[in-house]
Amino acid sequence: MTLRMKQTIVAGLSFLFLAALLLVAWQESKRHRIEEGLEPVVTAANEACVECHRKDGPALVMEWERSSHASYGVGCVDCHGAEEGEVDAWLHEGEWTAALVTPKDCARCHAREHDQFAKSHHAKAGEILASLDNVLAEKAAGMPGNIADAVNGCWQCHGSIVRFERGADGEILRTGKENKPVLAAETWPNSGMGRLNPDGSKGSCHACHSRHSFQAEIARSPENCGKCHMGPDHPQIEVYNESKHGIAFYANRDRMALDEKGDWVLGRDYSAAPTCATCHISSYMTTQGEVVPNNHDVGQRISWTLRPVISTKLNLVVYEDGYKEDYPGTRELPAVGDEVDTVEKIVEDEELVNRTVTRRVAKIVPWEERRAAMKGACLNCHNDAFVDNFYVQFDSLVELYNEKFARPAQAIMDELIADGILDPNAPFEKEVQWVFWELWHHEGRRARHGASMMGPDYTHWHGMYEVAKHFYQEFVPAVVEAAEETSPALGEKWARRMDELMARPEHVWHEGLSPEEAEALRRMYEDRYDQAVGSGRAEGTDGE
Amino acid sequence: MATSREISRTRRFGRRLAELFPVDWELVRHASAEPVPHHLKKWWFALGGTPLYLFMVQIATGILLTFYYVPSPEQAYQSVAEITHQVRFGWFLRSLHMWSANFMVIAVFLHMFRVFFTRAYRHPRQLNWMVGFGLLGTTLTFGFTGYSLIYEQMSFWGATVAANLAEAVPLVGGFAADLLRGGPEVGEQTLTRFFILHIGVLPTVGLLLVALHVYLIRTHGVTELHFEGEEVATEKRFFRFYPEHVSTEILIGLLLMYLLTLLALVFPAELGPPADPTVTPEHIKPEWYFYFNFRLLKLFSLQVSVLLTMFLGGIAFFWPFIDGWISRRTKHADTIVVIVGVFAVLGFLILTVWEALAP
Repeated sequence: MTLRMKQTIVAGLSFLFLAALLLVAWQESKRHRIEEGLEPVVTAANEACVECHRKDGPALVMEWERSSHASYGVGCVDCHGAEEGEVDAWLHEGEWTAALVTPKDCARCHAREHDQFAKSHHAKAGEILASLDNVLAEKAAGMPGNIADAVNGCWQCHGSIVRFERGADGEILRTGKENKPVLAAETWPNSGMGRLNPDGSKGSCHACHSRHSFQAEIARSPENCGKCHMGPDHPQIEVYNESKHGIAFYANRDRMALDEKGDWVLGRDYSAAPTCATCHISSYMTTQGEVVPNNHDVGQRISWTLRPVISTKLNLVVYEDGYKEDYPGTRELPAVGDEVDTVEKIVEDEELVNRTVTRRVAKIVPWEERRAAMKGACLNCHNDAFVDNFYVQFDSLVELYNEKFARPAQAIMDELIADGILDPNAPFEKEVQWVFWELWHHEGRRARHGASMMGPDYTHWHGMYEVAKHFYQEFVPAVVEAAEETSPALGEKWARRMDELMARPEHVWHEGLSPEEAEALRRMYEDRYDQAVGSGRAEGTDGE
Repeated sequence: MATSREISRTRRFGRRLAELFPVDWELVRHASAEPVPHHLKKWWFALGGTPLYLFMVQIATGILLTFYYVPSPEQAYQSVAEITHQVRFGWFLRSLHMWSANFMVIAVFLHMFRVFFTRAYRHPRQLNWMVGFGLLGTTLTFGFTGYSLIYEQMSFWGATVAANLAEAVPLVGGFAADLLRGGPEVGEQTLTRFFILHIGVLPTVGLLLVALHVYLIRTHGVTELHFEGEEVATEKRFFRFYPEHVSTEILIGLLLMYLLTLLALVFPAELGPPADPTVTPEHIKPEWYFYFNFRLLKLFSLQVSVLLTMFLGGIAFFWPFIDGWISRRTKHADTIVVIVGVFAVLGFLILTVWEALAP
């Protein structure tokens, strides 16, 4: 064989070698991308869906492609697949497909998370039909035949009862060549946290884990919770934003490892700041160097309820079947082993109904234990004394609100009903009822939430200041006014009662400060601003 | 312009230096003027110098990486992460080291292709082929131990599989595997041993083999090859090692440095998840030069594939003698060798690509 021919053979083999190496490199980088979750895995079952929806809804396919689901080959049919005969199923391109993806579908893989969530407050968020919130949205702001305020407002956070459009015969209406069931427009689209689904499940995982990217990053970000936990009645996101925690978060967002795959552990994966998820549901390191796993039951670490008129500590009763009930501190606790009639709300024939189930108590979790679970997160950044003293400060604010304003106001409202001044069936008939509502539901919660999450301005100016101002300036006069409207005798009685109330030590300041206090106040304003203050006058000293 | 006084001062300094460090310039001239046959001007004959050049790059970058690398299971991965993300130019050094390692394997393979097909291993150069084969083994072991030092999930499990392979070698396998791992399983001892191999034993063995390889080339001389129909004037049949061949090698070196830099910049070395001995990854892949072996492992049982590898390796190692045996029996030895070579290379490539495409 000639040398030149050999040269050609060596050159040919070298090129093949190079080509093989390029192929190896290409495969390697593809494998690497799949492992890193950068490359979607489209399984045979999902190929047709992806191909078609790349044109019909391309953005949702693109979002799915960047999801962890895609990197594991979990695709369309894995979540949207249904069994023939399911209430929301229809035959779509030859595959039984579900109109709704519910927590029950997610539970096929995420059983632990579903189980925790199903027993949480979040899962019960849709059970607001018999609440004053609902009355205000459907009645006060709505009108017969139009409850758009509830549909667009309340239900978008709390969740709707998802219903189907039905014909006169009660059968589900269907549309198109494929007979797709028609969802009632006022109940869907809805991504409310406690959505009541036709399959009996509660909630919507999408509320926190937005489809179709299902990024953990979104659920871990405070803005996610801020969709609902905001506004005049529960401004948690605003409180967080003004707190040291929120400030640290926004300044260090890129150090928060929000896109960490798998567990996201405070004290191991990040340290810059806590988000809502950090304190309420996420994993953290203990002082013993162990990892406390996350828990999709969002209320696990809450030791006060700050929502009702009067705050109470929260104990927890866990039953043998895993069902959980919060027991306010004022409610007598059963003993382990006791049989208790529990009332849970379920959807029957597209209506929310009460179901009484007798359950046996398996475990009592006292509020102290729930608080200790929360403190565990705090201790990643603060020492014992810091955390304990914070709770002393927080508790004292809640007690102040409870004792000075909430409890007396509630007693007054109860007595007004007993005196026949207020009609218990007409919760928003008179001004005093509106004032009282805002006193606890808006201002009182703002003060308590402000203190709970270290937001000083929400504690005071948006909180206790408003509570005090409206208590003195609106509530007390409105009580007397309502009584006078009923009868002169009741008017006299309640004017006297209010005088007695205002004569109590905690309210007597209203009549005037002591001469020493008034003098100190005058001096302070003169020293600081060179102006007098106190009678509506602000006198300058430049020649006047 | 230097004055005559300055010149004489320089000369005096030079003389003093020569007294301190006597150099036999005649010997240097003789060594550097080694005549090199004309065919070495063709690129494919100059591939032997490339691995040597890359070896130098590996030593230089390797020493710098060792400044920061900590060979303990608790800190290895973290130290590589620090090199990659924190140490100034650490990522660049690591990427150069990685690409240079890959280039070294490629260059060794290409060099062997050329030597094989031109049958340059024939008498009296059989021993040098075997030394070269030893250098191939050293290079591959370098690659394997270096990859394992990263202590990421894939490299950890790669090491585990390799140790299992070693264990299957008849007679000495168990001992060899234990010696490698420092125990029955890949553990704390393993990393230290791989580290010692990678930065101590292998460089020493490599340098000794390279010295022997070069010594044998110089003593045997390079066979002059004639291309058919190519007339080379008598005065051009040979050129000098220095400066002509050296300048060619420098040019190749610069080109390599350029390529390495480019690849390090565009495709820097990455870092997978840290090693977790409790979680076996779904897909374990070694470095590409072991794909061939890995595929055999999947095609046959552990024992069979190890024996097959040893058998094929044995044939390759003793090939110069097998060639001699064939040559003595047929006139068509040249064609037979080329056919065997083509099948061997294609077999290697097919198994490599097969493994690459496998999930």
